[in-house]
Amino acid sequence: MSSKKWNLEALKSALRSDSRIKGWIVTEENTARRERYFLSDSAELSIDQDRETRSQAITLQLMVKLEKAGKQGEITQRLFTDQTLEPQLAVALEAASGTEHQEWSLPAPLPQNEIPLRVSCDPAIAEDLESSMDQLTSKISAAVATRRPTPFNSAELFVSVHDRALHLSNGLTHRSSQSRIYAEAAYSMAGKDSTGAQVSDEFLETTWAVGLRDLDIEKLFDDCSQCAENSVQVSLPDTGKYAVVIDASSLAALFGSAVSQLSSSQKYNRLPFLEPGSELIPAATGDLITLSLDPTLELGGDTTALSDSGLLQTPLELVKDNRVLTSCTDQRYAQYLGCVATPSRGSLVIKAGTAGYDELTKSAPVVIEVLQFSSLLPDPNSGTFSSEIRLAKLHDNVRGEVRYIKGGCLSGSIRENFKSAQFSNTQVRRAHFSSGQSQGFGYFGPSHALIRDVSIVGV
Amino acid sequence: MSTPVRAPFSEDLISLRDQLPELLPLLEAKSHWYGSIYFERKSTQIFSANLKQTSVSDQKSRGAVLRIYDGVTLFEQATDELDFDDLKTACKKLADRAARAEHSRSASLLRRPYTPPTWKERLAPGLDPEIVSQIPAAATAQTPVHFGIRYEVDPRPLTSAQRLERLRQIISRCQELAPQASLTREDLSFITARQSIAVEESLFVDRESCMSQTLFRLGLTVIAMSGAERSVTRVGGLGGLETTDFTDKDALELLQELRAMKNAEALTPGKYRVLFGPWLTGILAHEAFGHSQEADTCARGRSKAWDLHKNSARVGNEHATIINNPAAFTNGTSGHGAWGSYFFDEEGWLSQEQVLLERGYLHAPMTNLTSALRLGIPRSANGKRESWANGVYTRQTNTYFSAGKSTLNELMEEMGDGFLATSPAGGMEDPKGMGIQVGIHFLQEVKNGKLTGRVFKGPSKGDIQLTGYVPDILEKIMDKSKIDFDAPEADHAQHPFNAAGGCAKYHKEFVHAGCGGPYVLLDQVTLG
Repeated sequence: MSSKKWNLEALKSALRSDSRIKGWIVTEENTARRERYFLSDSAELSIDQDRETRSQAITLQLMVKLEKAGKQGEITQRLFTDQTLEPQLAVALEAASGTEHQEWSLPAPLPQNEIPLRVSCDPAIAEDLESSMDQLTSKISAAVATRRPTPFNSAELFVSVHDRALHLSNGLTHRSSQSRIYAEAAYSMAGKDSTGAQVSDEFLETTWAVGLRDLDIEKLFDDCSQCAENSVQVSLPDTGKYAVVIDASSLAALFGSAVSQLSSSQKYNRLPFLEPGSELIPAATGDLITLSLDPTLELGGDTTALSDSGLLQTPLELVKDNRVLTSCTDQRYAQYLGCVATPSRGSLVIKAGTAGYDELTKSAPVVIEVLQFSSLLPDPNSGTFSSEIRLAKLHDNVRGEVRYIKGGCLSGSIRENFKSAQFSNTQVRRAHFSSGQSQGFGYFGPSHALIRDVSIVGV
Repeated sequence: MSTPVRAPFSEDLISLRDQLPELLPLLEAKSHWYGSIYFERKSTQIFSANLKQTSVSDQKSRGAVLRIYDGVTLFEQATDELDFDDLKTACKKLADRAARAEHSRSASLLRRPYTPPTWKERLAPGLDPEIVSQIPAAATAQTPVHFGIRYEVDPRPLTSAQRLERLRQIISRCQELAPQASLTREDLSFITARQSIAVEESLFVDRESCMSQTLFRLGLTVIAMSGAERSVTRVGGLGGLETTDFTDKDALELLQELRAMKNAEALTPGKYRVLFGPWLTGILAHEAFGHSQEADTCARGRSKAWDLHKNSARVGNEHATIINNPAAFTNGTSGHGAWGSYFFDEEGWLSQEQVLLERGYLHAPMTNLTSALRLGIPRSANGKRESWANGVYTRQTNTYFSAGKSTLNELMEEMGDGFLATSPAGGMEDPKGMGIQVGIHFLQEVKNGKLTGRVFKGPSKGDIQLTGYVPDILEKIMDKSKIDFDAPEADHAQHPFNAAGGCAKYHKEFVHAGCGGPYVLLDQVTLG
C-alpha cells in the first residue's frame, strides 16, 4: 500500500478526455469521528471504548454512452487514490457499459455566486472536534453523578464532521460540511410490581442532532431515568381500539416513510404514488396536514444547497391542507417523465396544529400516550405500521388517573388512523442519520399527534 | 475425497501483513498494554435489474483498526491511510491518547489485564475441522495462518454483462410464470432482482498470532410487487455461485405468495397457535436469548439474562435450546457456509459453536474482548463491527433453535387449527424487560392440519407482530422439526438452515447475521 497516485484534478481530466463518457458526478467525503462508550463499573463511570476514525471516500457516478438510442450505462464506484487511476476507470467503464438506463443528463451548472450558504455544520464542532467531545463527556459525567433512584447502566457519545465536495461534469463544484452528534443513555430500575413480585427493567433513550444547541444531555438523562423509574409498575393494555398520542419521533418515522409516495420515482417505477390533486389522507376530518421539504433549516438533518445532480434546493410545499400540490422530482425523473425538476431534499416540515398537549391527552375517556415503541417500522407502500409498545402512559380521564403500560402490540394505517388526527401546537426538531448514508433525515413538526381507533392487542 | 477449493489470500496484501507486526511495539509501549491490529477490505458489487433498467454499484471499503487495551479501556484508532509511515504516525497518536486518558482517570477503577493465547492454547478441543485443517502444524506467533472459505463455482470471473443477463432472465421468468400463480403480467407492477457479490478479506495481528481470512459472500434478492403488496425471496451464503441458486419453484412460490396477499384478510388480534418457519424461528431465537445473551449488554447492566444465568432460573421448556454458531460451514442440507459464519472474529478469536440456552436454562453469554474480561467469562468469537470505521460490540453470527425430530407434516397435524408463518418482517429485543417483537409479513390459515388457502395480514392490513414475555413464549414451544423437515429418516445435516439476514443492534450498527433453524410450533401466543 503506497501513498497517493492521483488527485481529483487528474480524475476529472481523465473523465473529460474519454469520448465514451457522457457525464459524471464525483463526491469526496472526509470524515473525522470520535466515539466513547461509557458504562458503570462498580458504581463508577468508566469508559469501555474510546475511538477515533478518520476516513476518505471518493465515489464516482459514471454515465456512459450506449449504441442503443435513448439509453445510457451507469455505475457508482468507489475509487482509491493509492491505486493507479486508469485500471479503476477501465473497470468502471466496462461495468457501466453492461447496464442500461433511460438516458438523462445533468442540468446546466448553477453559477457559483447563485449557490446559497446553508448552515449544516456546527462551527464549534468543526473548529475543534476533540474539545466538543470533551465538553459533552463532562456533561455526561455530571448527568451520571446526579443522584437518582435509578442506577445508571451505560451511555454512548459519537461526534463527527463530514466535509464533502461535489464535482460534476457540467463544471459545477461545491463544498459543504455537516456535523453529527449521537448520544444515548440507559438506566434501569428494580422494584415490586402491582402483584408484589420483585421485577426490574430498563429504558434506553437515543438522540441525534446536527448542532450542539439541539442536544440537551441533562434532559436526555433525566427523561431516560424517569422512564426507567416508570417501567416497573406497569401492566399490559387491554385488547381494543384506542385514541393514541404519538410523539415527534414516531411522526417523523411515519411521515418520513409516507412521503416516498410523493416522489416521481415511484410513478416511473409503477410503485404506489399519490398524484397531485389527490388527498394525502382520504376523507380526512381532523387537522388537515400541510407538509413540505425544507433544505434551508439551520442545522437541520438534511440541510443542503444542492442535490447531487447540482439542482438548487429550496423549500417545496408538497401537501397543503391534505391536498397533494406537487411531486418531488429530481433531475433524472424530470427528464424521464417529461416534467419540471423540483427540489428533492430537505427536512420534513409538518405544520403545527392548534391543540395543546393536555388537550390531546384528555380528548377521549381513555388515551394511550406511547412514550417509546420497540421498533416502529412503517411500510412505505401501504402506509401501515405496527410495533410492540415499549412504554406508554394510559390517561384514564374518567377516573382522573395516569398509569403506565408496557407490552402489547399496536397496529394502524396512516390513511385510516390519521383521518381525524389532531396535531399539537408546538413544533420540535429531530434528526436521524443511518449508518453509511451521506444524506441525513430531518424533521420539524408537531411534538405530538392524536390518532384514533388504533388497534392494540394486550390482554 | 478431493481437496476443497478455498478463497485465497490476496497477494497485494502480503507486504501489509508482513509489516503490521512491526507496529505492535508502539501499541505495547507500556508493559500492561495489549496491542492488536485489525485490517479489513470489503469489495461488494451489487447488480440489479427491474422492469425498466439494470444497474451496477461497486462498493469498496478498507481500513485498519489499531488497538490498545490497558486493562480498563479499549482505545482504537481507525484509519484508511495505509501507508506504513501513516500507520506508524497513527499508532503514536493512539498511544499518546491512551497514555493521557490513563493518566487523567480515576485510579480506583478495577484493572482487568489481558494476555493473548498462543496457538497451542487456541487449538483447544472442539474447533470445527474446517478451521483446524487450515492451521499449519506447529504454528507460532510469526506463522501467517490463512483461512479461506470453501467454494464450488468461483463467483469472480463473470462479467457485469453476464451477471445482469442472469437477473434479466429471472425477471422474465417471473413474468412467464405469473399465470401459473393466477396473476397477469399487468398485475406484476414491479419486479426487481438484486445480486450482491462480496469479497471480504481481513487480517488480525497481535503478539501471539498473525491470521488472515477471505470470505466470498453472495446474496440474491427477488422482490415482486402488485400495487402496495410485496413478496420477497432471499437466498445466499458463503461460498461460490452455488449459494444463490434460484429455480422456477422459487419464482412460483414468490408469485403465489404475492397472489395470496392480494386477497389477504385482516387478522383479529388475539392468542393463536402458530407454526413458525425457519426464518421466523431464527428471528425468535435472535431476539429472545440472542441479544440478551450478548455480554456487552450484560456488562452494561442492560440484560436480565446475566442474573437469570447466575441464578440458574428456568426460562423455557425442554424444547428451548438456542445456539449461536459462527462456525456453520454447511447450511442445512446445502454444502456452502451459512450467512453469519467466519473463521475468526474482528478481535482475532477463532469461531466455535456455543450453546446459549439448553432445555430452558441459560449458559454463559457470547462475548467480545472487553465484555469477557468485565464479566470474567470465557471469550467467544462474537466481537464484530459494522465496518473497520465502527466500534466493536458483542454481536450474533448464526442464531437458531436446535433441531427436533418431527417432520413438517407431523407438526401441521399436531397444530390442528392455527396459522403457518414463514415470511419475516423484522424483530426487536428487550433484554432487560424480556419483551419481544417478531414481525410476520402474513399468516396462512391451517384447519385440521391442512392449509385452507386463506391468508391473513395484521389488523390494519400491515405486518403482524408476535409480542409477549420471552420466558412465557419459550414455555409454549410444543414441538420442533428436523433440519431436513420433509424427509422421514433421521437428520444427516450438521447445522440447521440459516437465511441471509442482518441485525441492527439497538437501531444502529448493521452487521450480517444468519437467521434460521427448524420449524417451531408455538401454542397460544399473542398476535396483532
